[in-house]
Amino acid sequence: MANGLAGKTMRINLSTGAIRSFPTDEELYRRWHGGRGITAKILYDEVPRDAAPLGPKNIFIINSGIMSGCFIPAGSKVEFGSVSPLTNGPGDSNMGGHLGPTLKFAGYDMIIFEDVSPKPVYLFIDNETVELRDASGYWGLKSLDCEKKLKEDLGEDFEIATIGPAGENGVLFSCITHDFGRQAGRTGQGAVMGSKKLKAIAVRGNKSIHVNDLAALRKQVTEIMLRTQKHPNMIPWQKYGTAFFIQWSNANACIPAYNFQTTYYEDIDKIDGDQLVEKCLISHKACFGCWMNCGKYTKAVIPGKPEVHLEGPEYETGSLCGSNLGMKDINHVAYINWLLDNLGMDSMSGGGVIAFAMECFQRGLITEADLEGQTLKWGSVDDVEHFLDMVAHRRGIGDWFAGGTKRAAAKIGRGSEKFAMQVKGQEFSGYDGRWAPGMLLSYMTADIGAHHNRSWTITVDMAEGRERVEGRAKIVVYLQHIRPLFDTWCICRLFWGELDITPEEIVESLNHITGWGVSVQEVLRTSEMIWNLNRCHYIERNRNIGRTFDYPPARSWEDKIPSGPGQGKGLSLAQIDQMLDEYYAARGWDTSGNPTRALLEDLGLGYAADRLEKSGFLGKPIPGGIPPVRGEKYKPKAF
Amino acid sequence: MVIYLKAGGELRTKLKPDVDDYTRRVETEAGKALKDILTGIGINPAFVAFAFKDGQMKRLDYVPLDGDVITLQPPVSGG
Repeated sequence: MANGLAGKTMRINLSTGAIRSFPTDEELYRRWHGGRGITAKILYDEVPRDAAPLGPKNIFIINSGIMSGCFIPAGSKVEFGSVSPLTNGPGDSNMGGHLGPTLKFAGYDMIIFEDVSPKPVYLFIDNETVELRDASGYWGLKSLDCEKKLKEDLGEDFEIATIGPAGENGVLFSCITHDFGRQAGRTGQGAVMGSKKLKAIAVRGNKSIHVNDLAALRKQVTEIMLRTQKHPNMIPWQKYGTAFFIQWSNANACIPAYNFQTTYYEDIDKIDGDQLVEKCLISHKACFGCWMNCGKYTKAVIPGKPEVHLEGPEYETGSLCGSNLGMKDINHVAYINWLLDNLGMDSMSGGGVIAFAMECFQRGLITEADLEGQTLKWGSVDDVEHFLDMVAHRRGIGDWFAGGTKRAAAKIGRGSEKFAMQVKGQEFSGYDGRWAPGMLLSYMTADIGAHHNRSWTITVDMAEGRERVEGRAKIVVYLQHIRPLFDTWCICRLFWGELDITPEEIVESLNHITGWGVSVQEVLRTSEMIWNLNRCHYIERNRNIGRTFDYPPARSWEDKIPSGPGQGKGLSLAQIDQMLDEYYAARGWDTSGNPTRALLEDLGLGYAADRLEKSGFLGKPIPGGIPPVRGEKYKPKAF
Repeated sequence: MVIYLKAGGELRTKLKPDVDDYTRRVETEAGKALKDILTGIGINPAFVAFAFKDGQMKRLDYVPLDGDVITLQPPVSGG
């Protein structure tokens, strides 16, 4: 067994019920580092380009990376991957909690599900015992209710991941839920699970993971633990989690309000981190191996509705389901968070879809007649509850919105595409990019659509000048290499970003675990390889030049910010094109946004160049050749 | 009067700690808002999400008292 690995991989054919277990391919892990990397490679190799994301030829992968479950800060993550029904490209999403480590403790690094089950099933793993079990009795249950029922039936010590009605009904932004509030939300992985009739996964394991140099790892991590416990920002983190960011985001004109119509929310004091702690907090909550406790276990209390318990809302949900919906009470935001969690929908895309529908209602593009007699007004939690039920069960025009904002806008038409706030089909995260050009570029170019966790640049934009677009591209490329590494290794990013753990320290941990002896530069190159393989895959599947897919909705350049500290600010289409031109050049892609053979061969992806050439979309050679270094490490200067 | 400011990350670089790894002793006049004190020592208040004192969040218009120990919380780099 290789260091850091549990040792076994499983392939499960859901159509026949055949379960095959075999030794994990160590070389594959060495090259792709697990998690998002190995997922990208397997999806590229195995899913036919014409396979429908919700059809039998798509595969669904669960993968604990090389560092998950090891003695390191927050080695808690597990990665899910398949061709995304939302973006029609390689998709991945991860979550914390305890599932990823427990999967390794049961002896498994990765599970690959093929085909479709003839009836609802769940996967039962108890160390060596692996069974596909009948899930008829669980099908139809909401996510949190299903997790509770499975724990009652199997035992508290099983770690459970479930989908809800949305996933069962093929809502394209469905999530996977675990630990009563941790979600793999993005790219619609819950819809893929549902399409395969896979309701849940239940895992228990008690094995250990061998690491290369335990003494060195223990010494290093103990030092990190002692240092971070004294870090001045640790206690504020523990108290507020990411919800504290709501006020800052509003003050600095990047929070979405009313479906990104503006970036200033007049009732921010009613939905901020202080309100969450004061009115909703029950207890703090941590993932496996974490002493940061950024999770907030909360309640939502609304007269006339049942008191509900949930985890969150954290910043993304707090903004996208708070200011973006015009909510004026933190209990309402928390309640919508719970609705989305229990129905099994991503609370980020979910917030974006509700907001888009609200703006359609505001503009008279949909009416009460379309909404079964209900309104859909800003700030109405009752309207949201009714609307989400329509979407989760694909009732009436709920069916349109179940495809996300891009597909709903295509149905509604009449100019609504302009304010369907998505890229590549995936809805924006909780930041407006009109006065943060690097952030907008990050959304435009992320391999899974508009997601902040590939690259986040708001403070860079502020430091470099928020009207400037020049020079953003190289920074975005650098961040797109370093941030996704955490999803590749399946560890939490927050210790790096917020508590001063350096990339060098994390790579040192990686080497203590694996014995690989790699450098930061080498792992960044691995990340670049993953990024380019996903780009090739996306272009091949969608059969057009890369640039076609990289534009944000027209609101991003047609509308200036109408209120608040960012009033009058905005970007032009020419500036957006300038950023794309610089970005493609920084990546070594041609002016159409297609990777070139020289670049792909430099990254050891000659086979991807061959396939891209065969499909007619290989990038044209760049005069002067590819840049020797792609991406530029950003050193903050202005603050 | 004297207050003590604490910060990690890039804010720490700008704060220039002189008491320990994270803490700087700052002499300032009474009655001045924290955001003005920050500006006075070369820190752009826009890069501070909030202040944290005695277990409570404080806005940057908070007026520190003599002897206050205040942690400066940077914005989270993506929620």
